[in-house]
Amino acid sequence: MTMLVDAAAEVATINKVKNTVIETRHLCREFGQGDTLVKALTDANITIERGEFTAIIGPSGSGKSTLLQLIGGLDTPSSGDVFLDNKNISHMTGTELSDFRRDHIGFIFQAYNLIPVLSARENIEYIMLLQGISASERKKRVDMLMHAVGLEGLGDRRPAELSGGQQQRVAVARAMVSKPSIILADEPTANLDSKTGADLLDMMKDLNEQQNMTFVFSTHDPKIMERARRIIRLVDGCVVDDERRD
Amino acid sequence: MNPQTKALPTANDRANTHKGSDSGLVARLAKRSIFRNTRRTLLTILLISCSLAAILFTDAFVRGMVNTMVKISTQTFLGEGQIHQKGFREANDIDLYIHDTTQLYQQLDEISEIEDYAPRVLSGAMTSSSENVASAIIYGVDAVKEAKVSKLKLAMTQGDYLSGVEGEIILGEQLADLLEVNLGDRLVVTVSEAHGGDLSQALFRISGLFSFNERSMDIGMAFINLSQGQTLLNIAGVHEVALRLQELNQADDKMLGFWHVLNTEQLETLSWQELVPQLSSMLAMTEYSTLIVSLIMYILVCLGLINTMFMSIFERQTEFGILLAIGTRSKQLFYQIMLEGLFIGLLSVAVGLFLAFVFCYWGSIVGIDYSELEMSGLTLNEPIYLIIDASSFALMGVATLAVTLISCIYPALHAARLQPSFAMRKTL
Repeated sequence: MTMLVDAAAEVATINKVKNTVIETRHLCREFGQGDTLVKALTDANITIERGEFTAIIGPSGSGKSTLLQLIGGLDTPSSGDVFLDNKNISHMTGTELSDFRRDHIGFIFQAYNLIPVLSARENIEYIMLLQGISASERKKRVDMLMHAVGLEGLGDRRPAELSGGQQQRVAVARAMVSKPSIILADEPTANLDSKTGADLLDMMKDLNEQQNMTFVFSTHDPKIMERARRIIRLVDGCVVDDERRD
Repeated sequence: MNPQTKALPTANDRANTHKGSDSGLVARLAKRSIFRNTRRTLLTILLISCSLAAILFTDAFVRGMVNTMVKISTQTFLGEGQIHQKGFREANDIDLYIHDTTQLYQQLDEISEIEDYAPRVLSGAMTSSSENVASAIIYGVDAVKEAKVSKLKLAMTQGDYLSGVEGEIILGEQLADLLEVNLGDRLVVTVSEAHGGDLSQALFRISGLFSFNERSMDIGMAFINLSQGQTLLNIAGVHEVALRLQELNQADDKMLGFWHVLNTEQLETLSWQELVPQLSSMLAMTEYSTLIVSLIMYILVCLGLINTMFMSIFERQTEFGILLAIGTRSKQLFYQIMLEGLFIGLLSVAVGLFLAFVFCYWGSIVGIDYSELEMSGLTLNEPIYLIIDASSFALMGVATLAVTLISCIYPALHAARLQPSFAMRKTL
């Protein structure tokens, strides 16, 4: 009987490891030195499993963006480790990290941040071009995503010719097109009106549920907080609360 | 082997596919990015192309100037080469003259590279008019042959050119002024004879005046007929034979056989470069100055371009951060900036070459008037016609492209080394 319980516990642990897509261990990020030293993040230990819809909340300067940057491999931690898909990205070389971001992480930014000289379609296609995906497959995926985010017929427009909501939809499609395991979104609804923001959120929630993609938001938006299945609260660079709503 | 595994692309396949699509993507981004700020790009292209055009214009101008100066120097009187008895030039000794002129003339007639030649005798002389006395170099020349080698006949301003009649003399205008003589006036020329140095005098009547537009020549030279000059100096040969070559550049080519034939134990044959080394040095200096001007231009182009590229990069810093964040490799970003530089360089070179050709072609037809300007004792009494040199156009075009690319390396490295979080500080 004891053996059975141990085996079950071991299977549960293995399953948990298999399902873990993000894990931070004693993650710290400091800026400056001496008198100007600022501790942006202190000893953050977070584990996020596949398919979670997580919101990181906290006041301005609490370390939300720093945490997202470290998870996304956009910044290097002062100490501690970041594991994505069970790979430690903290010690990867620049090229390894670029390739890892390209293949495993999708980013959605507050200011949309599309490439202004590329059309909506080309913005979505860009990552697949980097991945060396064939033209037919690229076309198939772009068409499918343009349909999914409701941008059919707008593919040839440049970002400047799209509204804020439409640009953010392109950004969502771009983040999802490479089928990443994680999507990191920095206040994705902050620049949108409430209706557009709500629509976008519905769309992301649907994609999360249908495709089991892991979404991590940093946000102040109560609507995102309402819909998130998990809320991590940061204050002064420290994780002070981790609430699950399963 | 699992058939499914076999069907999957290998790492190499994927890398190769990457390369093809990457380069197309990078090129597309670069091409579109350079015209994002059209005004700045056009100004940059204008800066580079104008610099290139200015360098090529200077090069064509210098070539034209050198050619004009050499032509003026050689065609006025010097010739492209001269033959003397060995030691004559150093000692200016009238006893050192070429004795066997018949054999020499036969040789000269047989050398195809020599178009014409003009034998001369020369000596320092005292010229005396009824009013004044002046020193001058008196030349005895063969009127017909001299006209084919020098511009003496063309330089006549008053009276008649030498006709071979005994007693005629032509003077430089300024020498005539100094002696206060006019056409038809009498002039006594006193020289020191060869073979002993006895004084020899002869009376001449001024038949013509000339002006080479060159003060030292117009005030210091007088011409009489060769036979009378030989009689006056008591010599049977000549002191100097000026050569007119078929091509100017044959003077540079010491590999040509006639240079060896005409340099013997007795004779010394020199090209114009050796006869007036100060002119060749000045021309070499001119070429150096072109090089220095080009270098300064290229440094300015470099600085201008680095500034422009940095402005462009700082403006697009966030965008580069995004590109890096979504998986663009640093190397790809580096290539993108370099490609932007290449496109700007290609456009600039095309525009610059076109502008340079238009201006240089205009200068080669119309010429640039530099008369009244004296350089190194030479008066440029004819316009400078620019010389378009295809190899210079090709070389400078390539050099400009290279300079453009070199200028882009630093900004490109800067962009490639950006940390995404730093580049996007205002966003994520």
